Amino acid sequence: MSRMHDMGGRFGDGLIPVPRDDENEVTNFEPTFKYEWHAKAWAITLAAGALGEWNLDISRHYRECLPPKDYINFSYYEKWLAALTNLLIDKKLVSFDELKEYVSKAKNGTLKKFSNKDIKLDRRTWLAKDVQKTLGWGGPSIRDTNINPVFDIGDKVITQNYSPNKDVSGGHTRLPKYAMGRVGVIHSYNNNHVFPDKNAHDLGENPLPLYTVEFKSSELWGELAENENDSIFLDLWEPYLKLFPH
Amino acid sequence: MNKKKDISGDHHHPHDQAHSHLPSDPELRVKAVETLLLNKGLIDSKTLDELIDTYENRIGPKNGAKVVAKAWVDLEYKKRLLNDATSAIRELSYQGRQGENMVVVENTTETHNVIVCTLCSCYPWPVLGIPPTWYKSDEYRSRTVREPRKVLLEFGLSLDPKVQIKVWDSTAEIRYLVLPMRPKGTKNMDERELAELVTRNSMIGTGLPKEIK
Repeated sequence: MSRMHDMGGRFGDGLIPVPRDDENEVTNFEPTFKYEWHAKAWAITLAAGALGEWNLDISRHYRECLPPKDYINFSYYEKWLAALTNLLIDKKLVSFDELKEYVSKAKNGTLKKFSNKDIKLDRRTWLAKDVQKTLGWGGPSIRDTNINPVFDIGDKVITQNYSPNKDVSGGHTRLPKYAMGRVGVIHSYNNNHVFPDKNAHDLGENPLPLYTVEFKSSELWGELAENENDSIFLDLWEPYLKLFPH
Repeated sequence: MNKKKDISGDHHHPHDQAHSHLPSDPELRVKAVETLLLNKGLIDSKTLDELIDTYENRIGPKNGAKVVAKAWVDLEYKKRLLNDATSAIRELSYQGRQGENMVVVENTTETHNVIVCTLCSCYPWPVLGIPPTWYKSDEYRSRTVREPRKVLLEFGLSLDPKVQIKVWDSTAEIRYLVLPMRPKGTKNMDERELAELVTRNSMIGTGLPKEIK
């Protein structure tokens, strides 16, 4: 059971859209934002997020909850904008009537930004003078807790199967489907981090031990593995794991 | 008995999702939401300009290239970088959003590292900036964990079967940066010159640094 975003290992996708120069050589050059609306969709998402009405896990979950046909058809920044719109309504920052009013103005060409003196900034609004400071802080997910990790480096573990989120069916999780029910080895312990499966549903941060787990390619892909020496590493929270054999 | 909440993770029935009422042209769609938020005073246009300018002109792969070049010339720095990347990268004043917990993985003659995020588009912003389109593509996200060698070939990178590939799927808030091998024939180059050789793709693992002709 999974959602559209959980696409690791999926069959059917074609060539990677690798940019090439005039001589058909792979190029590293690509504008940061291809279109102005990409930049705007990205920036308004960050700025609206800074209002503090939702966390990173909630915004990820909203993108994942787009109907599958929209998730597939939308380009990257269209997904961002759609999820943002749904968040704005659900968190009551914008009413549905207001949204409809601006949509119809956009459609008939009467969209107009008020002059600055007519705009009253909300007290939560992220100001330009604070941008560098806030970016520099970021949003660390490590929490000081007295929780000790259950697993040791080198322990063999098996991942949860079917539906890792124990609180909400179809809820947010960071255990990809391709690594469910698979045996791996604890590579490292990385402190205690906010648990997305709870945090994405406003059920509290519930920080828990986070491990990096190594899976052999043959464990994940069986005979399809390209090379049995290759490994895939995933960062997984303790509830996703059980000691193997259990 | 099922103890889970008797709700699905969906916030609405799909037909009710607000986004479905937006205009079909994406440019117009963004304009509608942007103007609404601006007029309500929930966002400020100067903040948007500052954000876009920061990632178009100040934060990008040049930062990561400086980290790599320093590790190539300074063995003590390299040790710190591999041991505690977040602190070592902060020594060069690169820190914060989407780079709060950094891990640097080193390429050697035996191991080649590749970074991906299969679930979304996690990427180390302070050292590499905003991810390129291909990194966010379905093709890269779906295929890299299953067939990394085929994926790398499409980037022009052919690896010996004896070299182990390690794919790092960024499923939590740890952000990865690849430390590529220093190209041959660069013994007399200084840190600044070396940084010019470090490409973005070489720090994701889908490329190598530029070679000396």
